[in-house]
Amino acid sequence: MNSYYTLNLIIYAAVDAMACLGLSQQFGVAGVTNFGFIIFQAAGGYAAAILALPGDHANGGFQSYIGGWNLPFPLPWIGAAVVGGVLALPFTFLVGRRLRGDFAAVGLLVTAVLLNLLVTNYRPVLNGDAGLSLIPAPFAAPGFSTTSSGYQWAFAAGAVVLTGAVLWLVRRITFAPYGRSLRAMRENDTVADSLGKNLLSLRTAMLVTGGAIAGLSGGILVSYISTWSPAAWGYAETVVLFAAVIIGGAGNHLGAVLGAILVPVGFEEITRFIPTSNNLPPNLVPSLEWVAIGLLIVIFLWVRPQGILPERKRFIRLPPSADGGARGPARSPGTAAVTAGHGQPAVVLEARDVVREFGGVRAVDGVSFSVRKGTLTGLIGPNGAGKSTLLAMLAGTLATTSGHVIYEGRDITGQPAFRRARGGLVRTFQLASEFKRLTVMENLLAAVTGNRGDSLRGAVLGRRYWRADEEAAIRRAAALLERFGLAELGNAYAGELSGGQRRLVEIMRALMAEPSMLLLDEPMAGVHPNLARRIGAELVALCAGGMTILMVEHELAIMDEFCDPVVVMAEGRVLAEGTMAQLRGRSEVVEAYLVG
Amino acid sequence: MSLFVASLGFGLVTAAVLAIASVGFTLQFAVTDVLNLAYAAIMIFGAFIAYAVNQAGQSVWLGLVVAVAACALISVLLNVGVYAPFQRRGTAPITMVIVSLGMTLIIEFGVQAVSGGTAVSYTMGNGPTLQAGGLNLTGVQVVIMVLAVLVMAAVHGLLRYTKLGKAMRATAANRSLARNCGIRASRVITATWAITGALCGLAGVVFAIDAGSFDATSTDIFLILILAAVFLGGPGQAYGAMLGALVIGLATEVSAVFIPADYKYVVAFVVLLVMLGVRPTGLLGAPA
Repeated sequence: MNSYYTLNLIIYAAVDAMACLGLSQQFGVAGVTNFGFIIFQAAGGYAAAILALPGDHANGGFQSYIGGWNLPFPLPWIGAAVVGGVLALPFTFLVGRRLRGDFAAVGLLVTAVLLNLLVTNYRPVLNGDAGLSLIPAPFAAPGFSTTSSGYQWAFAAGAVVLTGAVLWLVRRITFAPYGRSLRAMRENDTVADSLGKNLLSLRTAMLVTGGAIAGLSGGILVSYISTWSPAAWGYAETVVLFAAVIIGGAGNHLGAVLGAILVPVGFEEITRFIPTSNNLPPNLVPSLEWVAIGLLIVIFLWVRPQGILPERKRFIRLPPSADGGARGPARSPGTAAVTAGHGQPAVVLEARDVVREFGGVRAVDGVSFSVRKGTLTGLIGPNGAGKSTLLAMLAGTLATTSGHVIYEGRDITGQPAFRRARGGLVRTFQLASEFKRLTVMENLLAAVTGNRGDSLRGAVLGRRYWRADEEAAIRRAAALLERFGLAELGNAYAGELSGGQRRLVEIMRALMAEPSMLLLDEPMAGVHPNLARRIGAELVALCAGGMTILMVEHELAIMDEFCDPVVVMAEGRVLAEGTMAQLRGRSEVVEAYLVG
Repeated sequence: MSLFVASLGFGLVTAAVLAIASVGFTLQFAVTDVLNLAYAAIMIFGAFIAYAVNQAGQSVWLGLVVAVAACALISVLLNVGVYAPFQRRGTAPITMVIVSLGMTLIIEFGVQAVSGGTAVSYTMGNGPTLQAGGLNLTGVQVVIMVLAVLVMAAVHGLLRYTKLGKAMRATAANRSLARNCGIRASRVITATWAITGALCGLAGVVFAIDAGSFDATSTDIFLILILAAVFLGGPGQAYGAMLGALVIGLATEVSAVFIPADYKYVVAFVVLLVMLGVRPTGLLGAPA
């Protein structure tokens, strides 16, 4: 074990660990599956190379490339990170809200395969298949030895320090409120969207951050090995990094470092000990290495999908319950119902001729109605009446085929869900939609808007910058937990709760967003009747405090007790509107729903 | 002009190979819900099975039959042994794709470990050359095109007129509803893996015949063409994949007249990215 060997190992481990940290941030934390990750490392490598190399006529002009600026260290490495980050921008159209994550991943994979093919075949820009060589090491100059052991150790130390800095950065991002938003998006992007998270912006930030980290790792690598060619960054190299992150533990940054040491570095080392024999076919050992990587991925995803070091649970200490259960909504918007003109409260939300078609079927067929401020309006109807579809269109989760949605006097038909949520129009979902691998407390905190730490900049500025906002949010969440009797479950994973408890978490989470109007999709389904009654009473109290609620519900008893007015839907249309007592008197309503 | 017409001929052959591959891929995705990226690896597995038969002194066409059977079998086993257990556990679609990438490495480099990684060719004649209106096609190329047309007709007949095909369509549309209607979804899914695996094997051998020489990694890039054809027509749409294959096959080969042949895949790639970005449900799919 000579020192050259040790150095080599350290530098490779540092570079791989850095790349895995970038990938872990994208895939493990934010749930952005970037199958083209390796092209960002490749871009960083080429950027560092052409920034550091002299013009391509040097050395007899045996290789051709663009650039050749002969820039001094550290500019090539900075350039590598910048190019890696900027390269991510064209891909943002793949990761918006529209495209399924697996399709976006396929797009990135295909891009990686094709870019490799193009660079291999086109020589003038980056010297094609042969790749670039004689890439200068940092500080390389005539008379300065870059092969001395002192220099090599300094290089290794530099690489390790930079990897440490990247580790520090991604941890700082992940442990901030911003990181919680990223993890919420990973768990369920539709729900995160409906809570005001801008998915496109979050994913773009992660593609760029991860791309810059990958680029820097590529820059460091080429400065060390002094060559860079398409053979070094085939699409399968991305799979190796994925294997490392999955095995180490996606979402745990130390796991990513461990995975980097076990998989890319470990494989390189193990195969050194395989005796070379002339009897073996030439490609046998490298081929079997790939087979082994594939096996590791599949076996680990089956046996231990959370990896060797799983994501750690974030315990949040609850403040002592000071105000004895905090009566009333934590911070109610407005106080009394605002009245307009004729003594009737003002209209908050209005649907005008809203239509939604699914392949020729009109699920919602020209619905018009309005919800007045401070009311707990019920929406009932038989299965398939279009209630949930309507709710989704009001919240922006689903686009309307035609018609308009007016909220607080403004036409919001074209607004995406996250903007409506930020404007105070927040929905819940019919199916369980809690962020499973976030604690109950984190589920609540994830819905808070306006936290200073809920942006990339705020996250990087650090805890001192956002602590006050965070503490206020925790106090608010703790008060809600107390009120709904879930205080002792604050640090349990939401995925481990009972069905009824999850419904509560969802309602509390929606309240944490400080909505002025709530859209609830069967909030009491599967909840114990006693608890349902308590939820109903809380909702009535919220409305008395000025909030407006539109609630889809099946239980007529609940409608009777809490909702006024009630809107009846059947076959995609509004059938009737009024108090339950009035509705019971109308034959068409009774026929459509109340009896049948 | 003659170059253009000649490239049209190549385009039709590529489209024929691509149509067989894409229809299999898209049906597999529609019914089983697995975006099986290992499909191209199984294609090359089939190509090498036929090569082994061919090396044993038999005709490539016999090898083709053996490869079709082998790929149907390996696809069923892949589902039973890997994908179905993951799905039963409720694994997220994106994780399924990662599993399929892992399987890609296992199959593709497993083939390479056995075959040795050098390019090989089948021992076969090309048949008489046919000329028609400037089109120059070998007999083998004509056979490939006829095979593709037969396969398309068979798929059409299967989906349209057989009980199994209707059950496949029902399962693709809504698996739990199909199950509640008395369709034995697990049987339909196994049958789908067998049928699409057979198509995959057939595609692999005709791909290898068309390519002339091939190695274990030859289908990596062909996967781009498959995905482009599938997404152009709409993922899960059998007729969409046929249309997509025709467009992509012709576009790649004809574009090679105007741009260096090394870059002909760029067209397919651009089509794929545009479809993903603008209309991920494809031309024949319903808008999102």
